[in-house]
Amino acid sequence: MGLDELLGSHRQELRRGTVVLACLLALRETGYGYGLLKTLESAGIPSDANTIYPLLRRLEERGLLTSEWNTDESRPRKFYRTSATGSALAAQLIIDMDDLSASLHALNGGTTR
Amino acid sequence: MISLTERYLAAALRSIPDAQRADVDRELRSSIADAVEDRVAAGEERASAEKAVLEGLGEPTRLASGYTGRPLYVIGPDVFLVYRHILATLVGVIVPIVAVVLTTVALAGGAGYLDGLMAGIGGAFSTGVHLAFWVTLTFVFLERAEVARGARTEMVAATGRWTVDRLPSRPAGRISVGETVGEVLTTLLSIGGLLFLRDTAWFTDAAAARIAVLDPALSVFWVPALITVLMALAGLRIVVYLVGRWTMPLAVSHAALQVAIAAPLVALALGGSLIDPRFAAQLGRPELARGDGPVMLILARA
Repeated sequence: MGLDELLGSHRQELRRGTVVLACLLALRETGYGYGLLKTLESAGIPSDANTIYPLLRRLEERGLLTSEWNTDESRPRKFYRTSATGSALAAQLIIDMDDLSASLHALNGGTTR
Repeated sequence: MISLTERYLAAALRSIPDAQRADVDRELRSSIADAVEDRVAAGEERASAEKAVLEGLGEPTRLASGYTGRPLYVIGPDVFLVYRHILATLVGVIVPIVAVVLTTVALAGGAGYLDGLMAGIGGAFSTGVHLAFWVTLTFVFLERAEVARGARTEMVAATGRWTVDRLPSRPAGRISVGETVGEVLTTLLSIGGLLFLRDTAWFTDAAAARIAVLDPALSVFWVPALITVLMALAGLRIVVYLVGRWTMPLAVSHAALQVAIAAPLVALALGGSLIDPRFAAQLGRPELARGDGPVMLILARA
Protein backbone atom coordinates (compact mmCIF):
# COMPACT_ATOMS: atom_id res chain seq x y z
CA MET A 1 0.00 0.00 0.00
CA GLY A 2 1.51 3.28 -1.11
CA LEU A 3 1.61 6.44 0.97
CA ASP A 4 -1.21 8.04 -1.01
CA GLU A 5 -3.41 5.04 -0.47
CA LEU A 6 -2.62 4.96 3.26
CA LEU A 7 -3.30 8.66 3.57
CA GLY A 8 -6.59 8.23 1.77
CA SER A 9 -7.83 5.44 3.99
CA HIS A 10 -6.78 7.19 7.21
CA ARG A 11 -8.35 10.44 6.10
CA GLN A 12 -11.56 8.59 5.45
CA GLU A 13 -11.33 7.14 8.93
CA LEU A 14 -10.84 10.61 10.45
CA ARG A 15 -13.75 12.07 8.51
CA ARG A 16 -16.08 9.24 9.37
CA GLY A 17 -16.03 10.36 12.98
CA THR A 18 -16.85 13.96 12.15
CA VAL A 19 -19.58 13.62 9.54
CA VAL A 20 -22.38 13.64 12.14
CA LEU A 21 -20.99 16.78 13.71
CA ALA A 22 -20.66 18.43 10.31
CA CYS A 23 -24.31 17.65 9.48
CA LEU A 24 -25.60 18.91 12.82
CA LEU A 25 -23.63 22.14 12.45
CA ALA A 26 -24.56 22.71 8.83
CA LEU A 27 -28.26 22.06 9.42
CA ARG A 28 -28.63 24.73 12.05
CA GLU A 29 -29.77 26.47 8.89
CA THR A 30 -32.54 24.48 7.22
CA GLY A 31 -31.34 22.39 4.32
CA TYR A 32 -32.20 19.43 2.09
CA GLY A 33 -30.20 16.38 1.05
CA TYR A 34 -28.41 17.51 -2.07
CA GLY A 35 -28.06 21.07 -0.80
CA LEU A 36 -26.35 19.78 2.34
CA LEU A 37 -23.89 17.81 0.21
CA LYS A 38 -22.98 21.01 -1.63
CA THR A 39 -22.71 22.98 1.62
CA LEU A 40 -20.37 20.40 3.13
CA GLU A 41 -18.31 20.26 -0.05
CA SER A 42 -17.82 23.99 -0.20
CA ALA A 43 -16.98 23.97 3.51
CA GLY A 44 -14.12 21.59 2.72
CA ILE A 45 -15.82 18.47 4.09
CA PRO A 46 -16.69 16.48 0.97
CA SER A 47 -18.98 13.54 1.79
CA ASP A 48 -20.63 10.77 -0.15
CA ALA A 49 -24.31 11.04 -1.01
CA ASN A 50 -24.89 7.45 0.01
CA THR A 51 -23.51 8.22 3.47
CA ILE A 52 -25.34 11.48 4.02
CA TYR A 53 -28.84 10.55 2.83
CA PRO A 54 -29.34 7.57 5.16
CA LEU A 55 -27.54 9.44 7.95
CA LEU A 56 -30.08 12.28 7.83
CA ARG A 57 -32.84 9.78 8.52
CA ARG A 58 -31.01 8.14 11.39
CA LEU A 59 -30.29 11.51 12.99
CA GLU A 60 -33.95 12.37 12.62
CA GLU A 61 -34.99 9.10 14.24
CA ARG A 62 -32.76 9.94 17.20
CA GLY A 63 -34.37 13.34 17.52
CA LEU A 64 -31.26 15.29 16.56
CA LEU A 65 -32.87 16.66 13.39
CA THR A 66 -36.41 17.66 12.57
CA SER A 67 -37.79 17.44 9.07
CA GLU A 68 -40.50 18.96 6.97
CA TRP A 69 -41.57 18.50 3.38
CA ASN A 70 -41.66 21.65 1.31
CA THR A 71 -43.98 21.22 -1.65
CA ASP A 72 -44.26 24.88 -2.60
CA GLU A 73 -41.68 24.64 -5.34
CA SER A 74 -41.83 22.59 -8.50
CA ARG A 75 -39.71 19.84 -6.91
CA PRO A 76 -40.84 18.75 -3.44
CA ARG A 77 -37.91 18.52 -1.04
CA LYS A 78 -37.52 17.23 2.46
CA PHE A 79 -35.94 19.91 4.61
CA TYR A 80 -34.03 19.13 7.75
CA ARG A 81 -33.10 21.30 10.68
CA THR A 82 -30.98 20.59 13.71
CA SER A 83 -33.18 20.21 16.81
CA ALA A 84 -32.42 21.73 20.22
CA THR A 85 -31.02 18.38 21.34
CA GLY A 86 -28.98 18.21 18.15
CA SER A 87 -27.56 21.68 18.74
CA ALA A 88 -26.63 20.85 22.32
CA LEU A 89 -24.93 17.65 21.15
CA ALA A 90 -23.08 19.50 18.40
CA ALA A 91 -21.91 22.17 20.86
CA GLN A 92 -20.44 19.49 23.12
CA LEU A 93 -18.92 17.54 20.22
CA ILE A 94 -17.18 20.58 18.81
CA ILE A 95 -15.62 21.29 22.22
CA ASP A 96 -14.42 17.67 22.28
CA MET A 97 -13.10 18.10 18.77
CA ASP A 98 -11.12 21.19 19.79
CA ASP A 99 -9.77 19.41 22.87
CA LEU A 100 -8.74 16.47 20.74
CA SER A 101 -7.07 18.74 18.26
CA ALA A 102 -5.25 20.60 21.06
CA SER A 103 -4.11 17.29 22.56
CA LEU A 104 -2.79 16.11 19.23
CA HIS A 105 -0.92 19.35 18.73
CA ALA A 106 0.55 19.04 22.21
CA LEU A 107 1.71 15.54 21.32
CA ASN A 108 3.17 16.99 18.16
CA GLY A 109 5.49 19.14 20.30
CA GLY A 110 3.40 22.26 20.76
CA THR A 111 3.48 23.35 17.14
CA THR A 112 0.21 24.00 15.42
CA ARG A 113 1.39 22.59 12.10
CA MET B 1 -38.38 2.69 -21.73
CA ILE B 2 -38.11 2.79 -17.96
CA SER B 3 -35.50 5.35 -16.93
CA LEU B 4 -32.34 4.38 -15.11
CA THR B 5 -33.52 6.36 -12.09
CA GLU B 6 -36.75 4.37 -11.90
CA ARG B 7 -34.84 1.13 -12.09
CA TYR B 8 -32.40 2.33 -9.45
CA LEU B 9 -35.19 3.40 -7.10
CA ALA B 10 -37.00 0.10 -7.56
CA ALA B 11 -33.85 -1.81 -6.67
CA ALA B 12 -33.04 0.36 -3.67
CA LEU B 13 -36.54 0.58 -2.24
CA ARG B 14 -37.32 -3.10 -2.44
CA SER B 15 -35.81 -3.86 0.96
CA ILE B 16 -37.04 -0.71 2.71
CA PRO B 17 -39.95 -1.35 5.10
CA ASP B 18 -43.38 -0.24 3.85
CA ALA B 19 -43.70 2.41 6.53
CA GLN B 20 -40.72 4.35 5.23
CA ARG B 21 -40.77 3.42 1.58
CA ALA B 22 -42.91 6.19 0.15
CA ASP B 23 -41.00 8.85 2.05
CA VAL B 24 -37.55 7.51 1.11
CA ASP B 25 -38.74 7.13 -2.48
CA ARG B 26 -39.84 10.75 -2.68
CA GLU B 27 -36.72 12.08 -1.02
CA LEU B 28 -34.26 9.99 -3.04
CA ARG B 29 -36.09 10.96 -6.21
CA SER B 30 -35.72 14.66 -5.48
CA SER B 31 -32.09 14.26 -4.39
CA ILE B 32 -31.24 12.44 -7.61
CA ALA B 33 -33.08 15.05 -9.66
CA ASP B 34 -31.22 17.86 -7.84
CA ALA B 35 -27.87 16.28 -8.55
CA VAL B 36 -28.71 15.62 -12.20
CA GLU B 37 -29.98 19.18 -12.72
CA ASP B 38 -26.80 20.51 -11.19
CA ARG B 39 -24.68 18.56 -13.64
CA VAL B 40 -26.89 19.50 -16.60
CA ALA B 41 -26.64 23.16 -15.61
CA ALA B 42 -22.87 22.75 -15.70
CA GLY B 43 -23.14 21.68 -19.34
CA GLU B 44 -23.27 17.90 -19.03
CA GLU B 45 -25.60 15.85 -21.16
CA ARG B 46 -28.67 14.61 -19.25
CA ALA B 47 -28.15 10.91 -19.94
CA SER B 48 -24.54 10.86 -18.81
CA ALA B 49 -25.37 13.08 -15.83
CA GLU B 50 -28.03 10.62 -14.66
CA LYS B 51 -25.65 7.72 -15.08
CA ALA B 52 -22.92 9.50 -13.12
CA VAL B 53 -25.26 10.46 -10.27
CA LEU B 54 -26.62 6.94 -9.87
CA GLU B 55 -23.16 5.42 -9.99
CA GLY B 56 -22.11 7.95 -7.37
CA LEU B 57 -24.88 6.65 -5.11
CA GLY B 58 -23.49 3.17 -5.57
CA GLU B 59 -25.02 -0.27 -5.29
CA PRO B 60 -28.73 0.19 -4.51
CA THR B 61 -28.92 -2.59 -1.91
CA ARG B 62 -25.96 -1.04 -0.09
CA LEU B 63 -27.71 2.31 -0.02
CA ALA B 64 -30.86 0.58 1.24
CA SER B 65 -28.95 -1.08 4.07
CA GLY B 66 -27.88 2.40 5.14
CA TYR B 67 -31.56 3.28 5.54
CA THR B 68 -32.68 0.08 7.22
CA GLY B 69 -29.60 -0.46 9.35
CA ARG B 70 -29.68 -4.07 8.23
CA PRO B 71 -26.14 -5.44 8.25
CA LEU B 72 -24.25 -6.31 5.09
CA TYR B 73 -22.63 -9.31 6.72
CA VAL B 74 -23.88 -12.73 7.70
CA ILE B 75 -22.55 -12.87 11.24
CA GLY B 76 -21.17 -9.70 12.74
CA PRO B 77 -18.35 -8.99 15.19
CA ASP B 78 -20.70 -8.92 18.21
CA VAL B 79 -21.59 -12.56 17.99
CA PHE B 80 -18.81 -13.97 15.85
CA LEU B 81 -16.58 -15.17 18.70
CA VAL B 82 -19.47 -16.87 20.48
CA TYR B 83 -20.50 -18.43 17.19
CA ARG B 84 -17.03 -19.77 16.53
CA HIS B 85 -16.70 -21.12 20.06
CA ILE B 86 -20.05 -22.90 20.02
CA LEU B 87 -19.46 -24.32 16.56
CA ALA B 88 -15.98 -25.58 17.42
CA THR B 89 -17.19 -27.12 20.68
CA LEU B 90 -20.19 -28.87 19.13
CA VAL B 91 -18.27 -30.17 16.14
CA GLY B 92 -15.31 -31.19 18.30
CA VAL B 93 -17.50 -33.14 20.73
CA ILE B 94 -20.35 -34.52 18.67
CA VAL B 95 -18.60 -35.48 15.43
CA PRO B 96 -16.11 -37.91 17.02
CA ILE B 97 -18.89 -39.46 19.13
CA VAL B 98 -21.00 -40.00 16.03
CA ALA B 99 -18.03 -41.50 14.20
CA VAL B 100 -17.36 -43.97 17.02
CA VAL B 101 -21.01 -44.88 17.55
CA LEU B 102 -21.71 -45.45 13.84
CA THR B 103 -18.56 -47.50 13.36
CA THR B 104 -19.43 -49.61 16.39
CA VAL B 105 -23.00 -50.15 15.27
CA ALA B 106 -21.86 -51.13 11.78
CA LEU B 107 -19.25 -53.54 13.12
CA ALA B 108 -21.67 -55.06 15.62
CA GLY B 109 -24.08 -55.52 12.74
CA GLY B 110 -21.49 -57.70 11.03
CA ALA B 111 -19.95 -55.20 8.62
CA GLY B 112 -16.28 -55.58 7.66
CA TYR B 113 -13.90 -53.23 9.43
CA LEU B 114 -13.39 -51.13 6.30
CA ASP B 115 -17.14 -50.75 5.77
CA GLY B 116 -17.52 -49.96 9.44
CA LEU B 117 -14.88 -47.26 9.22
CA MET B 118 -16.50 -45.81 6.11
CA ALA B 119 -19.88 -45.74 7.86
CA GLY B 120 -18.30 -43.86 10.74
CA ILE B 121 -16.49 -41.34 8.55
CA GLY B 122 -19.51 -40.77 6.30
CA GLY B 123 -21.83 -40.26 9.24
CA ALA B 124 -19.37 -37.97 11.00
CA PHE B 125 -19.02 -35.85 7.87
CA SER B 126 -22.74 -35.37 7.33
CA THR B 127 -23.21 -34.68 11.05
CA GLY B 128 -20.52 -32.02 10.83
CA VAL B 129 -22.21 -30.42 7.83
CA HIS B 130 -25.58 -30.44 9.58
CA LEU B 131 -24.17 -28.97 12.76
CA ALA B 132 -22.36 -26.21 10.88
CA PHE B 133 -25.48 -25.42 8.89
CA TRP B 134 -27.91 -25.22 11.80
CA VAL B 135 -25.59 -23.40 14.16
CA THR B 136 -24.79 -20.87 11.44
CA LEU B 137 -28.46 -20.44 10.58
CA THR B 138 -29.27 -19.82 14.25
CA PHE B 139 -26.62 -17.14 14.49
CA VAL B 140 -27.67 -15.51 11.23
CA PHE B 141 -31.16 -15.27 12.74
CA LEU B 142 -29.72 -13.93 15.99
CA GLU B 143 -27.72 -11.36 14.04
CA ARG B 144 -30.53 -9.90 11.98
CA ALA B 145 -33.94 -10.72 13.42
CA GLU B 146 -35.46 -7.79 15.23
CA VAL B 147 -37.07 -10.13 17.78
CA ALA B 148 -33.65 -11.58 18.59
CA ARG B 149 -32.16 -8.23 19.49
CA GLY B 150 -32.77 -8.81 23.22
CA ALA B 151 -31.19 -12.25 23.13
CA ARG B 152 -28.22 -10.85 21.24
CA THR B 153 -27.67 -8.04 23.73
CA GLU B 154 -27.91 -10.50 26.60
CA MET B 155 -25.46 -12.87 25.01
CA VAL B 156 -23.00 -10.11 24.26
CA ALA B 157 -23.33 -8.89 27.85
CA ALA B 158 -22.85 -12.37 29.27
CA THR B 159 -19.91 -13.27 27.10
CA GLY B 160 -18.65 -9.86 26.16
CA ARG B 161 -16.81 -8.64 29.24
CA TRP B 162 -13.45 -10.19 29.10
CA THR B 163 -11.50 -10.64 32.32
CA VAL B 164 -8.07 -12.13 32.97
CA ASP B 165 -9.82 -15.17 34.49
CA ARG B 166 -10.54 -16.28 30.96
CA LEU B 167 -6.89 -16.59 30.06
CA PRO B 168 -5.88 -20.17 29.30
CA SER B 169 -4.33 -21.56 32.50
CA ARG B 170 -1.22 -22.69 30.68
CA PRO B 171 0.28 -20.85 27.73
CA ALA B 172 0.35 -23.12 24.71
CA GLY B 173 4.09 -22.97 24.79
CA ARG B 174 6.81 -25.58 24.81
CA ILE B 175 6.03 -29.25 25.23
CA SER B 176 7.28 -30.14 28.71
CA VAL B 177 9.90 -32.77 29.53
CA GLY B 178 7.46 -34.56 31.87
CA GLU B 179 4.87 -34.87 29.16
CA THR B 180 7.42 -36.28 26.72
CA VAL B 181 8.87 -38.74 29.24
CA GLY B 182 5.36 -39.89 30.12
CA GLU B 183 4.44 -40.49 26.50
CA VAL B 184 7.67 -42.32 25.69
CA LEU B 185 7.29 -44.50 28.79
CA THR B 186 3.72 -45.37 27.84
CA THR B 187 4.88 -46.38 24.38
CA LEU B 188 7.71 -48.50 25.78
CA LEU B 189 5.24 -50.14 28.17
CA SER B 190 3.06 -51.00 25.17
CA ILE B 191 6.03 -52.68 23.51
CA GLY B 192 6.73 -54.57 26.74
CA GLY B 193 3.10 -55.59 26.96
CA LEU B 194 3.14 -56.86 23.40
CA LEU B 195 6.24 -58.97 24.07
CA PHE B 196 4.71 -60.19 27.32
CA LEU B 197 1.58 -61.34 25.54
CA ARG B 198 3.65 -63.02 22.84
CA ASP B 199 6.29 -64.74 24.98
CA THR B 200 4.95 -65.52 28.40
CA ALA B 201 3.67 -69.05 28.55
CA TRP B 202 0.45 -69.39 30.46
CA PHE B 203 -0.20 -73.00 29.66
CA THR B 204 1.67 -75.97 28.28
CA ASP B 205 -0.16 -78.39 26.04
CA ALA B 206 0.21 -82.15 25.68
CA ALA B 207 3.18 -81.82 23.34
CA ALA B 208 4.84 -79.57 25.91
CA ALA B 209 4.51 -76.60 23.59
CA ARG B 210 4.29 -73.29 25.44
CA ILE B 211 1.09 -71.41 24.89
CA ALA B 212 1.08 -67.61 25.05
CA VAL B 213 -1.83 -65.19 24.57
CA LEU B 214 -1.00 -64.00 21.05
CA ASP B 215 -1.30 -66.25 18.08
CA PRO B 216 2.24 -67.49 17.28
CA ALA B 217 1.65 -66.77 13.59
CA LEU B 218 1.89 -63.07 14.44
CA SER B 219 5.48 -63.37 15.59
CA VAL B 220 6.79 -63.49 12.06
CA PHE B 221 5.48 -60.18 10.81
CA TRP B 222 2.89 -58.37 12.90
CA VAL B 223 4.56 -58.24 16.29
CA PRO B 224 7.84 -56.87 14.88
CA ALA B 225 5.85 -54.48 12.68
CA LEU B 226 3.82 -53.18 15.61
CA ILE B 227 6.95 -52.79 17.71
CA THR B 228 8.59 -50.84 14.90
CA VAL B 229 5.60 -48.50 14.68
CA LEU B 230 5.55 -48.08 18.46
CA MET B 231 9.26 -47.21 18.40
CA ALA B 232 8.55 -44.69 15.67
CA LEU B 233 5.80 -43.21 17.85
CA ALA B 234 8.21 -42.85 20.77
CA GLY B 235 10.75 -41.28 18.44
CA LEU B 236 8.14 -38.87 17.14
CA ARG B 237 7.35 -37.76 20.70
CA ILE B 238 11.02 -36.94 21.19
CA VAL B 239 11.10 -35.00 17.91
CA VAL B 240 8.03 -33.05 19.06
CA TYR B 241 9.84 -32.22 22.29
CA LEU B 242 12.93 -31.05 20.41
CA VAL B 243 10.86 -28.95 18.01
CA GLY B 244 9.02 -27.58 21.02
CA ARG B 245 5.49 -27.72 19.67
CA TRP B 246 3.16 -29.64 17.40
CA THR B 247 3.51 -28.68 13.77
CA MET B 248 1.12 -29.83 11.09
CA PRO B 249 3.49 -32.46 9.61
CA LEU B 250 4.22 -33.81 13.11
CA ALA B 251 0.54 -34.02 13.98
CA VAL B 252 -0.24 -35.77 10.71
CA SER B 253 2.60 -38.26 11.25
CA HIS B 254 1.37 -38.89 14.79
CA ALA B 255 -2.16 -39.59 13.58
CA ALA B 256 -0.84 -41.89 10.82
CA LEU B 257 1.23 -43.88 13.32
CA GLN B 258 -1.75 -44.22 15.66
CA VAL B 259 -3.80 -45.58 12.78
CA ALA B 260 -0.92 -47.90 11.81
CA ILE B 261 -1.19 -49.43 15.28
CA ALA B 262 -4.93 -49.51 15.70
CA ALA B 263 -5.94 -50.66 12.23
CA PRO B 264 -3.92 -53.95 12.15
CA LEU B 265 -5.00 -54.80 15.68
CA VAL B 266 -8.67 -54.31 14.82
CA ALA B 267 -8.27 -56.15 11.53
CA LEU B 268 -6.48 -59.10 13.16
CA ALA B 269 -8.99 -59.21 15.99
CA LEU B 270 -11.95 -59.29 13.64
CA GLY B 271 -10.20 -61.85 11.47
CA GLY B 272 -9.91 -64.08 14.52
CA SER B 273 -6.16 -64.31 14.19
CA LEU B 274 -5.05 -62.22 17.15
CA ILE B 275 -5.36 -64.65 20.03
CA ASP B 276 -4.01 -68.17 20.00
CA PRO B 277 -7.05 -70.50 19.84
CA ARG B 278 -5.16 -72.96 22.04
CA PHE B 279 -4.87 -70.30 24.70
CA ALA B 280 -8.57 -69.65 24.55
CA ALA B 281 -9.28 -73.38 24.63
CA GLN B 282 -7.05 -73.89 27.65
CA LEU B 283 -8.82 -71.04 29.35
CA GLY B 284 -12.08 -72.86 28.68
CA ARG B 285 -13.40 -69.91 26.64
CA PRO B 286 -12.73 -70.83 22.98
CA GLU B 287 -14.98 -67.99 21.78
CA LEU B 288 -12.31 -65.53 22.96
CA ALA B 289 -10.18 -66.31 19.93
CA ARG B 290 -12.97 -66.01 17.38
CA GLY B 291 -13.31 -62.92 15.21
CA ASP B 292 -16.85 -62.32 16.46
CA GLY B 293 -15.97 -63.17 20.07
CA PRO B 294 -16.71 -60.68 22.81
CA VAL B 295 -13.09 -59.57 23.36
CA MET B 296 -12.56 -58.96 19.67
CA LEU B 297 -15.68 -56.88 19.34
CA ILE B 298 -14.78 -54.79 22.37
CA LEU B 299 -11.26 -54.30 21.04
CA ALA B 300 -12.57 -53.39 17.61
CA ARG B 301 -14.90 -50.83 19.13
CA ALA B 302 -12.14 -49.26 21.18
